[in-house]
Amino acid sequence: MLDKKTMEQVEELKKGFDAQMKKRYGDKPFDLKTDGGIPIKPVYGPDDVQDLNFKNIAYPGQYPFTRGIYPTMYQAQPWVMQQIHGHGTPEHCRERMDYLAQLGLTGYGEMRSYNLVFDQVCKFGYDPDNPENGDMVGLVGVNMSTLDDYDRLLNGLDLTKTSVVLNQGIHSMIALAFYIVYGEEQGVPKEKLRGNTMNWLFKGWMSDLEMYPPDSAFMIMSNFIRWCSRNMPKWNTTNIVSYFAEEAGGTPVQEAAMAMAISIELTKACMDAGLEPDEFLPRFGFQIALGMDIFEHVSKIRAMRRMWATINKERFGAKDKHSMQIRCHSQTSAVSLTAQQPYVNIIRSAYGALVGVLSGVNGMTINAYDEALGIPTDESLMLAIRTHQVALYETGVPNVTDPLAGSYYVESLTEKICEEADKYLDKIEKLGGFKKCWETGWLREELANSSYEWRRRIDKGEKVVVGLNKHRSEVHRKTQIYKVDPEVKETCIARIKEYRATRGKEKEREQALADLKVACQGVLDNHKADFMPALIDCARARSTVQEMCDVMKSIFGWGTVY
Amino acid sequence: MLLSKSRMDVHDRGVRYLARCMLESGMEVILSRHGLIDEVANAALQEDVDVIGVSFSVGGHVAASERLRKLMQEKGIGEKLVIVGGIIPDDDIPALKKLDIDGVFGAGSSAAEAIEFINAKVNA
Repeated sequence: MLDKKTMEQVEELKKGFDAQMKKRYGDKPFDLKTDGGIPIKPVYGPDDVQDLNFKNIAYPGQYPFTRGIYPTMYQAQPWVMQQIHGHGTPEHCRERMDYLAQLGLTGYGEMRSYNLVFDQVCKFGYDPDNPENGDMVGLVGVNMSTLDDYDRLLNGLDLTKTSVVLNQGIHSMIALAFYIVYGEEQGVPKEKLRGNTMNWLFKGWMSDLEMYPPDSAFMIMSNFIRWCSRNMPKWNTTNIVSYFAEEAGGTPVQEAAMAMAISIELTKACMDAGLEPDEFLPRFGFQIALGMDIFEHVSKIRAMRRMWATINKERFGAKDKHSMQIRCHSQTSAVSLTAQQPYVNIIRSAYGALVGVLSGVNGMTINAYDEALGIPTDESLMLAIRTHQVALYETGVPNVTDPLAGSYYVESLTEKICEEADKYLDKIEKLGGFKKCWETGWLREELANSSYEWRRRIDKGEKVVVGLNKHRSEVHRKTQIYKVDPEVKETCIARIKEYRATRGKEKEREQALADLKVACQGVLDNHKADFMPALIDCARARSTVQEMCDVMKSIFGWGTVY
Repeated sequence: MLLSKSRMDVHDRGVRYLARCMLESGMEVILSRHGLIDEVANAALQEDVDVIGVSFSVGGHVAASERLRKLMQEKGIGEKLVIVGGIIPDDDIPALKKLDIDGVFGAGSSAAEAIEFINAKVNA
């Protein structure tokens, strides 16, 4: 990047610097590493970036989008402040939605944006009165089991000005079917609905959850994407969530590579289902971790933008630039939060937010300080939202896009993470690709090993966590913990029983559930059918979550992989 | 040692770490996933373990502990040591103690603490 004369000057200055260092510290090396284990030096200089190819960095909005996906970033549009929340009955959740709106939480432009998390019971496809629910009804998410629940949650909202993230986890396609029917009945056609489904049926790769088996999972995800691409072009179909990799113990390099491996596998599955890359890639989104090592995570996000653009253009022949721009939702690290001295977590999450803003993410969830103890209280949620707002209005960081570009350190670390993640991705592909490595448990073991090393370093005191293994406080200050209304489970059980007794439409429902079964079989038969229209009919016929999920599980298979 | 976590709870990082540390300390460890807590009681009976550990990160620990202790009584394995861990609010500890949960290892506990506790109790 630098001309010969300048490099000569640099070398001269570097010699002087090295001599000073040697005089002061001798030859003892500094054993410095990033949190993810990448060896680093105490000082970087022009010589560290002289071989960089400026084309790989470019300007924001230019391929390969290392510096950001748009030419203007926060100057034109702040990041979407998306606090993930959900608990109790739909009414409890709605109360929180209104509270968040009152605190100033907004989406793009005039849109209201809600990131709603459903409870474990409906996520895994059970109705609240099923004994398998493990007493988890409404505890860490909202229970949404019937069409009536959508009315309880959303009534009075203008759906054309509302963007929802329906985080029913594995079964987010069912949440979408309900949402479509709710919209229909409010006079809002599905084409006008805005929001996001998780569609992350690959989630079992990092944990042995109950799940559709890998082959079925990729058939379901790609079939869903095909239907959405052709019927709801504005709907964001898929969340490539590599946040989980980081939360399960992965290093930034592992997170970046695993995200790309998922995207590649899913892109291939969608192409097998008959789609062209530009028909569906623009509606993929990412959810990326904002970890504690600030420069490493900024570099990781810059590296991921470059990798995704390059893979989609060069490997899959994408032509539309939207197929190369990672729309990046992000979340501050939850694994770094401590139950000890929980107020210190406010500081950790604020540094995470700084990572997000320095990286130019498009959306951000800032964890509340009490999330190592329970779901957030009104107060802790308010502080999380204020953290967004202080970052946006007071710090000045959003004024300049990718302000760390050109930093000797950040540019060389970005390059290094790209290289290392490429190598790791290559390893995954040599082992048969993402799906194969999910089946064999290789990815899961890799994450477990990283997690083990991380915790070992903490236990040995090599890695300091303030308040946990150093500077523990003798003063135990009691933190208020949010308690979900104890009546929730009984309320939800009473409601579902009442619903089944009074909903009518018996014949329609029987037919719709039978059609769903045939449609699911058609999906497995090389995508000869789409399952979404059948699910929508089931929702119209007042089926419950479990009635639909039972059919899907019976055809696609269900259980733990390991 | 039987360690288990619900199949509906993704947060298994802690319990997997604990299992590995226990193995390294010379314990025999079975790490499993359960649907109903009944499966844990059945597995404890079948495998004839000395200690049962259940990890909870999404709540439901008090109700599940109550049922587990009741089932253990019914199966005649009420004497076995039971520990729980994960996201356990301090306020719930008295209720768990009342249910004869022997040890509670919430967020921030080290594997060494749990191992020491078990060794002291089992070898006592």
